[in-house]
Amino acid sequence: MVPLDAARAELEAVLGPEGIVHGDLELRLFARDASMVEGDAGLVAFPSDASQVVACMDIAARHGLDVVPRGSGTGLAGGSTPVNHPLVIATTKMRRIVKIRPEDRLAWVEPGVINLDLVEALRPTGFTYAPDPSSQQVSSIGGNVNTNAGGPHCLALGVTSAHVLALDLVLTDGTTARLGAEGPAATGYDLRGVVVGSEGTLGVVTAVCVRLTPLPPAVTTMLLDFDHVEDCAATVSAIIARGVIPSALEMMDRGIVQAVERFAHAGYPTDAAAVLLVELDGLEAGVAAQVDEVETAARENGVDGIRVAADEAERALLWKGRKSAFGAIAQIAPHYHLHDCVVPRTTLAEALAGITAIAKRHRLVVTNVFHAGDGNLHPLFSFDRDVPGTLERVLAASEEVVRLCIGLGGSLSGEHGIGLEKRDFMPLVFNDDDLAIQACVRTSFDPDERMNPQKVLPAGARCGEFAAAALARDGALPEGTWI
Amino acid sequence: MDLIHPHAARDVQAALRDATRDGTRVLVVGGRTHMDKGNPGEVDAELWTTYLDDIVRYDPDEMIATVGSGVRVSQLREVLAEARQEWPIDAPEGSTVGGVIAAGIDPVRRLRVGLVRDSVVETTAVTGDGRLVRSGAPTVKSVTGFDVHRLLVGSFGTLACITTVSLKVRPLPKARRTLVTADGGVELGQRLLDAIPLPAAVLTEPDRVFVRLEGWPEEVREQTHAARLVAVAEVEDDAPFPPPLFPNATIVAEASVTPSRLGELLDGQVAYRASMGVGTAWVACGGPADLAALRETATALDGIAPVLRGPGGLGQAEVPAPQVQRRIKAAFDPAGILAPRRGWDARGDLG
Repeated sequence: MVPLDAARAELEAVLGPEGIVHGDLELRLFARDASMVEGDAGLVAFPSDASQVVACMDIAARHGLDVVPRGSGTGLAGGSTPVNHPLVIATTKMRRIVKIRPEDRLAWVEPGVINLDLVEALRPTGFTYAPDPSSQQVSSIGGNVNTNAGGPHCLALGVTSAHVLALDLVLTDGTTARLGAEGPAATGYDLRGVVVGSEGTLGVVTAVCVRLTPLPPAVTTMLLDFDHVEDCAATVSAIIARGVIPSALEMMDRGIVQAVERFAHAGYPTDAAAVLLVELDGLEAGVAAQVDEVETAARENGVDGIRVAADEAERALLWKGRKSAFGAIAQIAPHYHLHDCVVPRTTLAEALAGITAIAKRHRLVVTNVFHAGDGNLHPLFSFDRDVPGTLERVLAASEEVVRLCIGLGGSLSGEHGIGLEKRDFMPLVFNDDDLAIQACVRTSFDPDERMNPQKVLPAGARCGEFAAAALARDGALPEGTWI
Repeated sequence: MDLIHPHAARDVQAALRDATRDGTRVLVVGGRTHMDKGNPGEVDAELWTTYLDDIVRYDPDEMIATVGSGVRVSQLREVLAEARQEWPIDAPEGSTVGGVIAAGIDPVRRLRVGLVRDSVVETTAVTGDGRLVRSGAPTVKSVTGFDVHRLLVGSFGTLACITTVSLKVRPLPKARRTLVTADGGVELGQRLLDAIPLPAAVLTEPDRVFVRLEGWPEEVREQTHAARLVAVAEVEDDAPFPPPLFPNATIVAEASVTPSRLGELLDGQVAYRASMGVGTAWVACGGPADLAALRETATALDGIAPVLRGPGGLGQAEVPAPQVQRRIKAAFDPAGILAPRRGWDARGDLG
């Protein structure tokens, strides 16, 4: 603990006493994110600008401290859970929207800016920032960048990576690099693309240049309800097959609909087996044409009811239902475990049936609310962790869900990331060579391996020997200096 | 010059393993349509990907196509069109999928269809020393480990030879239209961009503007109306898009600046095509002196101007975090046999 004490004095000198947290009780608050994994923070620093982040990184380097970056702490995979008393660098004080440049369709923001605050600030310009994770009222852009966050509206417009033009990254050696470019092309390898979604393992992001998307002139939201989950899932594929890409295509099962309805009073049909929330945008005439296509697709697949929001108020109400889902399920049980995995869109019905069977086998309550258009499932196990043995059953069921999704040709995570929670499942989808090259990339950014250690890659994933030797030479071969 | 013409990923592995052992310098080649993008460099062998041409898996309902890197863009276009879908890349007919990705060729219609890098969701590639590595997932969404595949986009074949790639594809637009105005210039292009809701491209030349509209027929009609409030425009529905790019020019540079600086970049230029709202400008240069002048202007505007066609390479420009870039190169290609000097100069602080 001696390095911590020395580092603490230096950090205080830079950040002031209010810029650092070290008391046991306060540190407990930073021992986890919104996942179930708990760790232990050594110190928590709250830099207020990029130069203070650099100072923090220099101090950490001098004392050999591990560094864990943290945004709003809403991550669901343990990505910002500190392990073994590291220095946690929380970016919550870096909340400036630095500049909005509609003429260049971009904005520069600090990492602590809350997603929804940015969206609100952009509204008068006729543009928006498209990725809208369900946590957008509290989650930060820096956190969104590190998890490559998605959201309901990423179906048509893509996830965070497609909306980050450039970012400033402070590396463990204390240097800052601007990765990507404001303009349409950049030099060198796309390091920006690797940093997005890297879960804080490569450096600390101190500024983000986001792409602005024009607000569509017309938006329509529809609610489709079905007596059978299979029909609902089939409608998802049928809509896509008709050449319509809705801006959002969200599915909710009966359990969620009932919980949400008691909470939000959005007029959701509580007797439906499943509902689809469909949003269409574009030019007015085009939206009308798409509504027709969606109605046809739904009718061909046994839809029970179709409701088209008549005005903005009704649209907002329908979305209130969807966006409040995770709050509403607190009515079912005090704790929940939210899963995140991806399956091919055409296997949705099979995946949902499998999840129901897994829950039944483990005597757990499961509900589903998810991004159906992306095949991105979010099964929610509700439980009381104070009941002995329950947590173990939840974790066992979760592992089965992972294996089910992989078996269907899917992926471990759609938008929450790997963090600590899914780290050991990585060998299910990648072999040793795949993991080794990932480890090489990580080491290329952080040769000391002090950035957010133990996350993402399973223990034992190491850069191969030959490559590691070349890497240790720092690419100093004449040929290697031209990348 | 030796020729390596593999039929499968394991052939690529064997060839690159040998090359690393023997110090043979290798250039990976696709359809030869973008050979001028990238710096010239001497090699001992070419590795042609054109036999890696399987359509491995394509399910239109998933909007994902997994294909060999040597598949021609034109062949893929035909396969996808049968299901009324497209990989929205506006590359020349003979281009290969892997070549387009390695050269980082973005769609001209990027305002509507996005970037090539965002369409690549999974790659399988052979590193310089013959390791077969996969990254990403064949799903529209995945945050599963480090996105190694992103490094391969625009890497000019300096890291690995891509063998298979999974692409996000999209529905073909129900209606497509090109408008051509009777007048041109950056200022008119900007007014058209501001007036037309959600165009696919607004390409300005000194004496005409191409406006590309795609979407539902009703949308395209509405957009046409909006365009005509700004400028007189003829409809050329059947003309190929994008129109040919300066067929007689010896050097075509692809300059890149923030969109609002296009006017400054192109001040005094007589042969250009600028993508409004994007910031890309293709400029026909009469010779090396013109290219140097363009590069000087681009640099002053925080931009770059690599050559797309003709001599001149990428030009000198700083790369960010050169130490990280060099380590990545060394990790993928420990012996430095893949396309030496073809990419950006990352000597940085090594001078």
